[in-house]
Amino acid sequence: MGGLQKKKFERGSATNYITRNKARKKLQLSLPDFRRLCILKGIYPHEPKHKKKVNKGSTAPRTFYLVKDIRFLLHEPIVGKFRDYKVFVRKLKKAYGKTEWSAVERLRENKPTYKLDHIIKERYPSFIDALRDIDDALCMCFLFSTFARTGKCHVQTIQLCRRLTVEWMNYVIAARALRKVFISIKGIYYQAEVMGQPITWLVPYQFSHDHPTDVDYRVMATFTELYTTLLGFINFRLYHSLNLLYPPKAIVVTVLHLMFSFNAFLQEDMEKMEAREKEQKQQEAQKKLFEGLKFFLNREVPRESLAFVIRCFGGEVSWDKSVCIGSTYEVTDETITHQIVDRPNIDQQYINRYYIQPQWVYDCVNAKIILPVEDYFLGVTLPPHLSPFVEEKEGDYVPPEKMKIMALQRGEKPANEEEEEGEEEEEEGEDEEEEEDDDNDDDEEDDEEEEAEEKNLKKMEEQRSQGKSLQVKVTPGKVKVENPARLEQEEKAEEKRLAIMMMKKKEKYLYDKIMFGKKRKTREANKLAAKRKAYDDAEKAKKKKARK
Amino acid sequence: MAAARRLKRVVASQPGFLNLKSSSDSTESLSSRRKRVNKNKKKNWNKHSDINDVEDFLDDVRHQERTTGGLLSEKSDDSLFFLDVGQPKKAEPKEAESVEGKKRKGKQSRPLRIDLILQHDSLVPPPKDVLAYQQPNAKKLRRIAQKAEQLAAKGVVPRRQKQLLNRRPVDKKVKAAVTEANNNPDREYYDIWGQETKDSADPWYLQQTRKKLVKRPEKLNEKPSVLPAVEVIAPGGSYNPDFFSHQALLQEAHEVEVKKQKEEDKIERQLAVNKEDTATEETKLREQVEGLVEEENEEETAPNEEEEEEEEDVAVGAIAVAEKKTERQRKREKAEKIKEQQRLADRQLTDQRQQLFQLRSIKTSIKQQEQKTKDKQKQRKVKQEAQKAQPRRLGRLKFQPQDMEVQLSDELAGSLRRLKPEGSILKDRFKSLQKRNLIEPRERAKFKRRHKVKYVEKRAFREIT
Repeated sequence: MGGLQKKKFERGSATNYITRNKARKKLQLSLPDFRRLCILKGIYPHEPKHKKKVNKGSTAPRTFYLVKDIRFLLHEPIVGKFRDYKVFVRKLKKAYGKTEWSAVERLRENKPTYKLDHIIKERYPSFIDALRDIDDALCMCFLFSTFARTGKCHVQTIQLCRRLTVEWMNYVIAARALRKVFISIKGIYYQAEVMGQPITWLVPYQFSHDHPTDVDYRVMATFTELYTTLLGFINFRLYHSLNLLYPPKAIVVTVLHLMFSFNAFLQEDMEKMEAREKEQKQQEAQKKLFEGLKFFLNREVPRESLAFVIRCFGGEVSWDKSVCIGSTYEVTDETITHQIVDRPNIDQQYINRYYIQPQWVYDCVNAKIILPVEDYFLGVTLPPHLSPFVEEKEGDYVPPEKMKIMALQRGEKPANEEEEEGEEEEEEGEDEEEEEDDDNDDDEEDDEEEEAEEKNLKKMEEQRSQGKSLQVKVTPGKVKVENPARLEQEEKAEEKRLAIMMMKKKEKYLYDKIMFGKKRKTREANKLAAKRKAYDDAEKAKKKKARK
Repeated sequence: MAAARRLKRVVASQPGFLNLKSSSDSTESLSSRRKRVNKNKKKNWNKHSDINDVEDFLDDVRHQERTTGGLLSEKSDDSLFFLDVGQPKKAEPKEAESVEGKKRKGKQSRPLRIDLILQHDSLVPPPKDVLAYQQPNAKKLRRIAQKAEQLAAKGVVPRRQKQLLNRRPVDKKVKAAVTEANNNPDREYYDIWGQETKDSADPWYLQQTRKKLVKRPEKLNEKPSVLPAVEVIAPGGSYNPDFFSHQALLQEAHEVEVKKQKEEDKIERQLAVNKEDTATEETKLREQVEGLVEEENEEETAPNEEEEEEEEDVAVGAIAVAEKKTERQRKREKAEKIKEQQRLADRQLTDQRQQLFQLRSIKTSIKQQEQKTKDKQKQRKVKQEAQKAQPRRLGRLKFQPQDMEVQLSDELAGSLRRLKPEGSILKDRFKSLQKRNLIEPRERAKFKRRHKVKYVEKRAFREIT
């Protein structure tokens, strides 16, 4: 009878988890090997919901893994390779100690190695799964390729990372996949769209680097090992999807046939199809942004980043021969249209080219149109570099620079009130709630017009009363061109107003509350705009004073 | 014999040489007394003839040949003598030596003096070293060579040669360890997703012999966190930010700092000691002297003591002795209990009946409770979702988020050239991995000594101190 009693911690969550040390002993591996294995296989520790139960009554902080995961690890063939490596190290140490150099040579030649291909196939069974995880891989590879080759981490790893990153950039150039660029104080963020997946990665600056001491390099090296393998396979597949030769020879890529990625059209309405087509046209126009332009990079600008971005959009780029291999034309080439300089002034100036600062390129890419060059000349205070990763919702504060850009995107010149109103209309036209604002604007305009008319009428009456003949003549009527879109909007607005009038008191109360909350944002935005205006005015005043 | 004769003739022709005949005439009488010897046989001739003079001459000749390389009389005058005409005049125009090669050639045509000295100049050739030409098994070797020639002529190849010809050239093995390593910069990739798996044999067999890989459990494919892999910095982090976004970022950093400062202040406040509570000399003296000074305070303390005594007496009187309960009392208590219970039951009945009329309020109260529970459920769900985005506690250390990367207004660079990057991307990636629960937070391992460090003074110091 004693044996049939239920004991604590023998069933349930206590048996589902296992501590890290126990797992390590079960696998018969050392701690660094165990960590490496977990990283390679993608096995992560879990935090149980009821720690006290799992920890058998104590609350000491421990690392827990699921027992099923560890049991799965037992079948991994790489575990044998780790043990072989341990034996190899032991033999090598002995040979060194006995100074048997021939034995050392022999052992070194037969060093045990392992391959990670089956792990990649197991973790990412399809290509799209791998593409979803490529963000991390790209960041790591770019990071490692900027390391100094001192020997702290294997130099071959750094070389491999460099090769893979260059191949990836070549693919992006060939597929014209780059969409957004953001220069931050940390590094340069890029976003590209590959096979419908948006991929964001971060590239560090070439010149930063003080290596922090509290980062575990072995862990990062293991991650990089996995990610280089993954990235290599992805590169292979991507190159083949474009019918390019892989691995590419040096930097030149033999382009046989460029194919654009196409979306699969499922059953969709005509409207959506049209919208999609419009988007595609825009995208294609965007892909040819710098086509026909010839750039020259001066020595002090970040060459790789700029060359990558310019090539992605079809432009030609070159630099001074003494900086790096691969320059195609020199400074003295007459057909150069833009020269990218970052100094306050430059000695020799050619007439038929623009001398601009590098931010122009990035801003053009983000705005998807070619911006006017005047704001980016040498010595001019640059407009702020806005982040393309921020999507402003309706009512949020939109910086005036962005409004200018949006105006340019619509092909209108900036700094006009009417256009601003027009912008607002078009921006918010899609959302139903904003039609009220439209209505308000329309009403204001109508009111203004009415007032103007009234004024005119008053004038005329006065004149009549004074006995002067009016200069009013009967002229043939002009056909008022009625904007059908505007009519539709007006009709919708009317319907909305009727619906609001027909609401019950309670519902009306709720509706008012919601609108109040929404309008709060616009009120705040207006406040910020007023602040900005005040600031700008103050700056102008300062400038004037300085001039005087 | 002919040479001896020639020599005799040469000898006889030399002046000052005495003829044998002339000398023999004068001393005839003496010589006739001599015994007559037959010199026709070799033995007698060798015994009785005196050839010393000839021998001397011949020795002289041989000596000349040995040392000077031939008879001196047969040598030319130039080799023995030269005419001393004093210093040769240098008036002769030296030919312009235009070509250096010519000069060299001229010098080269004359042999070196040391070579001349070392040449042997005697007619006697040096002796041959016979031992150098002796080979004990010369005959055998000759026979073997002949046989080999004969066989080669026939076409038979000896075994050693056959083996040499059969040996393949050695391919220098490229280090397999380097080419197969995972981080080989020139490693090959292939289409890993394109190939279809082929089951070459029975699946049961493959499973039992561990040739087929075990299927990966589905749960491992879920991502441990909902956070994205790369979080883009706020727009205020641009190298040339817009005014308001930069201010917003500065505000966030400011709030973090304020929080830290608040915590520090809290701790300081908790540990704070009032200045007045610290012991000064005066208070210390007063404490030590307490109770010892009896002059002024005696009258005041006396009435206080009396009051305290009275209070104690009153308190003593209130404690009463408990008596035993009587039967009557017990019955009364029971009856009361029953009454109480009856009352409660009646109350309940009436309550139940009255509830019919309280339906509305009951409904509202139920609604309120339901509303409360719903709200709480929603809050809990929101909290859970927020928790998912938080890093989990995996291990001994808590997750420490990294410092915000912010550049102050005066640190902002106007141009890309003067930009100073902020923060380390290595650290950023490391922290991101921890945030997404891929690894547990780790800190650098401390250096633990096995044995304590002992400090010993140097002898010089010991003498001083």
